[in-house]
Parts: sequence; structure tokens; C-alpha cells
Amino acid sequence: MAAVLGVSALYHDAAAALVVDGRVAAAMQEERFSRQKNDPGLPLRAARACLARAGLGPGDLDAVVFYENPYAKLGRVLRWQLRSFPRSFRQFPKALGAQLGSKLWALDRLAEGLGVERARVTFGEHHRSHAASAFFTSPFDDAAVLTVDGVGEEATTAIWRGRGRSLEPLARLDFPHSIGLFYGALTAYLGFEVNEGEYKVMGLAAFGEPSFGAEFEKILRVGGDGSFELEPSYFAYDEDSEVGFSPALERLLGPRRPYGRPWALEGDAGGGRDAGDRRYADVAASLQAATERALLALAREARRRTGSDALCLAGGVALNAVANARLLREAGFARLFVHPAAGDAGGALGAAVEVALGLGDPRPAPLASASLGLEPDLGETRALALELGLEPRRADDPSALAAELVARGRVVAFCAGRFEWGPRALGQRSLLALPEDPAVRERLNRVVKRREPFRPFAPAALEGEARALFEGAPNDMTPFMTAVCRVRDEARPRLGAVTHVDGTARVQTVTEASSPELFGVLGALARAGAPPVVLNTSLNGPGEPICASGPDALAFFLAHPVDDLLVGDLHFARGRA
Amino acid sequence: MSRAPGPLARLAGRLRTLRELFAYFARRERFFFLPLLAVLLLAALLLALTGGLGYVAPFVYAIF
Repeated sequence: MAAVLGVSALYHDAAAALVVDGRVAAAMQEERFSRQKNDPGLPLRAARACLARAGLGPGDLDAVVFYENPYAKLGRVLRWQLRSFPRSFRQFPKALGAQLGSKLWALDRLAEGLGVERARVTFGEHHRSHAASAFFTSPFDDAAVLTVDGVGEEATTAIWRGRGRSLEPLARLDFPHSIGLFYGALTAYLGFEVNEGEYKVMGLAAFGEPSFGAEFEKILRVGGDGSFELEPSYFAYDEDSEVGFSPALERLLGPRRPYGRPWALEGDAGGGRDAGDRRYADVAASLQAATERALLALAREARRRTGSDALCLAGGVALNAVANARLLREAGFARLFVHPAAGDAGGALGAAVEVALGLGDPRPAPLASASLGLEPDLGETRALALELGLEPRRADDPSALAAELVARGRVVAFCAGRFEWGPRALGQRSLLALPEDPAVRERLNRVVKRREPFRPFAPAALEGEARALFEGAPNDMTPFMTAVCRVRDEARPRLGAVTHVDGTARVQTVTEASSPELFGVLGALARAGAPPVVLNTSLNGPGEPICASGPDALAFFLAHPVDDLLVGDLHFARGRA
Repeated sequence: MSRAPGPLARLAGRLRTLRELFAYFARRERFFFLPLLAVLLLAALLLALTGGLGYVAPFVYAIF
């Protein structure tokens, strides 16, 4: 029996995860504590919070494991910098400076920061950590596993076979051929921030037509065996780490979209489909189609090699909910599971589970809930509120009150239970509203979240009711909001605020086990005779991480025009509640 | 509870990292990287002394 702390850090999405006696005790991202979105720093606060939640100290840890091999990563960087010389000349000092000045010493910094012996700090392998996060938390005993991201040490893509307590590598593709880097470079081309704007590109794609298919065939060539190649002349990772694409890409697709320009998808000034933002929507649609084509080929190859009926997915690309839905429909698998923190954060959990299994611990139970963070401290929240002159009211039944407020058309900031693991708000740190009226979406997009008008919101529905509203729901992904489902035609009038322009929604199906607090809200709506569905979006402002603590939620409430805030049983109302 | 390691333990940790690093390159038969690494590590020391890098670009993971 062992206590193992997994850590991912030093690129983006830093996180810590604690596995105790084969049980996932806690898993948290550093951004929730530092309040810096996608914080890449060493996650010492998250690590200490995981330990505190489990009632352990650093001295109780049997092992601390970093999610990737820092030496192999340095080897790849050195080799590519030399191979690309002299083009890489400008990047060389920056790349090697970061490697040798910081990343190489990750294990030492962890040992020193946590106060554990250096001998107890070890490392895993990037894609194996991803694969472990997906397979060992899945409900499957035998599955194909596909990991797809930007790049780890060398690999960008890997196929595995998971059986019981083992993961067997079957095939891999190496840098620079990478779907993650491909999607990231095109995200930059479309004027979004890399590692943050990919979700926006996915939402934008629904507004376009994949009319650049021929151009994308030149950029990304997919082989019959699931392998793929990027045409290197369109990319410039070695020369330009800001955008990652070359002038050749602009010659192929037209000029890039300026960063930060407001979007105007509805009117194109009479210029026809090729003009203005419509063209960029078409590029996004073509990018999404090319990505799905490559993922589908990979998944079919994984199916051919393993013969398994189940597929697990991890890596940043696995957060593409539109592609995931298509894989489930078309790749030949009966079931598909995506780890809720499929990006680098999840690697912390995968690495910890791998080491725990190696120490003889049992395999963790299938992940029933992503609530692996900390509960809000109500005493601290109340004290801060009183200092700020806010007088909270006590709610006898916070879930019932939230349901009543939502049913009255109010936008409710809801903070209850342990915060979520991964990038999705799943009802512990959420904004809740009625799902019917598209005007609610407009209000949230333009006034509260201040984000692009084309971005959709997601519904959360009781699992038992989801089938009647969404095609293909529930499935293994819907508790964690990692796949879209088509909204049934007859349900669309009731789900206007959460149905995307292509008729889909990234639905969350809710059970008492997956999200007890949100289950309470939806149950109260059902008891009141209302449909047990709400609009559920993350409790954060533009550019901010999702709230973690009660004071975070209070700060959000003070700064953003929502109607109510519930932190546990503390109710704050704006205007007449 | 554990305490933060002292200076000697920290030095021993760093030496362990260097040993693992050189062992990795030796195992992979990439001896030709070793002189370059030695020079770069010296440069890294200078970088650390002068405050390091303050800015990291989005595609750094391709080159890092």
C-alpha cells in the first residue's frame, strides 16, 4: 500500500494528483490556486492541497513522479535545434536556456519544494502517463488506448493496448508530425491564442464549410495504416515559437486573421462567402475535418491492432469533443472513454497510477466523478463577505434554492463540493441558467463572460432524461462533457440557449455519483415540474481560471453581472432575489 | 512531516540529476552531445545567475 504524488508541470496545465492505496484521493491544477490561467509553474500549492485533503504530509509519500522524462526531452530539443540550424539560430538560446536553466532540474525542484528526498522523486514517460490516465481510470478491463497531443519527449501520437494492470505500446509517431501542433498552428493562424483558443476554433468550425479540403490535404497527409505526415514547409516550430506556421501557409490559405479583431460571422459586407470572417470559419471547418480524418484513421488502426471493443483517449487533442463524438460513431468501437483532464494535467494522475501499480497497489476504481479538488471553506467565505459589507442568507436546501432561482430566469453562480479536475465545470464551480432562451446565451457571452458571440454553451441534464433530449446520450464521455451529441429535433425549442448552430450540444449527463450538488439542482427542477436541464458554464471571467475557493467565487460575483451566488449554503443575491 | 533539504542534500540532488542526464545520453549512444551539454550547462549557470528567461512563447513545447 502506497501514497504516490504525480506532477505535471513546466509547459502548461501544471497539476498534482495523489493516489493512496490505489485510490485517487485528490487531483488539482495549479491554476486554481495561483489564479493564473494554464499556470505552467511547479504545482507546489496543488501538491500541498492534495496532501492536506488526504491528511498526509510529504514524509508520508512513497514516491513523487514527474509525468515525463526531462532527459529525453532535452535530447530531442538538442537534436532538432542542431538539425534545423541555422534556421533555429534565434530560438536556440531561448530553447536551451529554458531546458538547462529550469526544466532539467524539475525533479530537484520538486524534491526541494515539497521537502522530500531526491531519491524518492522519479519520472515517467509523457505519452505513457497520458495513456495510464485514460485507461486506468476507465471502466474497461481491455481496451485500445490512443494518445494524441502536441509532443512529449519524442512521440506525438501513440497506440497502446490496455489490459488489467498493464499498458503495452503498439505503435507511435514522433515529432514533428503532430496533430496537436497542427491544430495549434492553425489556431494561431485564425487569430486565437495557442493552447487556449483551440476550443474556440472547434466552436467556430460549425459556422463554416470545409471548402479548403484540397489545401488541407497538402498540409496533412493521412496514410492507410493510421499514420500521418505534416508537410514541413507550412510550419515553423524551429524558427517561430509564437505562431508555429510559415509564410507558405498564408500563401496557401490566404492571410492570417489578426489577433483580437472582433468577429462578424453574420454579415460579410456583401463580399460573398469568401470574404471576411466567413473564410476563416471555412478554414476552421476544414481544419476540424482534417483533424477528424486523421483521428479516425488512427482509431481504426487501434481497433485493427487490438480487436478491442473499447477505446480510451487522452492527450490534449482528446479534448476535441466534436471529433470524439465522430470517433464513437464511426471508428468501430462500441464504447469510448476520455479522461476528463485529457491534457497535460491528466498526465500527473496517469504517472501516479503507473507508479502505484508498480508498487503493488490495486488498480483504481473507474472514475465516477471529476470532483477531486477542495470544498469551499464556508467560514472563510462568510468572514470575507462580512468584511466586504455583504450579508449572506443561509439556504436550508442550497440545491433547491438554486433550482428555484434558475427556474425564475436568474443566472446563478454555483459553488459547492470539491472543485473539478480538468478544464470543464461540471456543476461544482458553474454558472447555471435556463437552457431555453438564446437571449441567455447572448447575455452570458457578451456581458458576463465577454467572449466571442459564436461560442456555444453546454447543457447539463439528469442522466435518466438525457436520452429523450440528445441522440447517443448518455455514454462513457457525457459525465465529463468530452463529447457532443445531436440535440433531438423535438427538444430544440426547449434548448435554444445550449444548441450550437450545427444542432449539437456538449451535454453533461448528471448522476448523484458524478455531481451530487448539480444532481440536487436538477432533481429539484424535476420535482417542480420543469425539465431537469440547465445551461452549465464555467464559473470564471474572461481569461481567468475557474474559481476554486469561496473567496474566488465571491470575487467573481462582485466583478460580474450575475444575479445570485451560492457558496455551499451561503446565498448572495443581486437586486431582488 | 518533512523538512526542506539542506544545502548538502540539495547539492547531492543536483549531482544525481547530472549523473542521470549523462547516463541517459550514454545509454542512447549520443556521446557527441556530451561536450555540447557541458558547455550549455555552463551557459545555463550564467543564465541562472543573470535572472533567466522571463517570457515563454506558445509553441515552446515544439522546441522545448
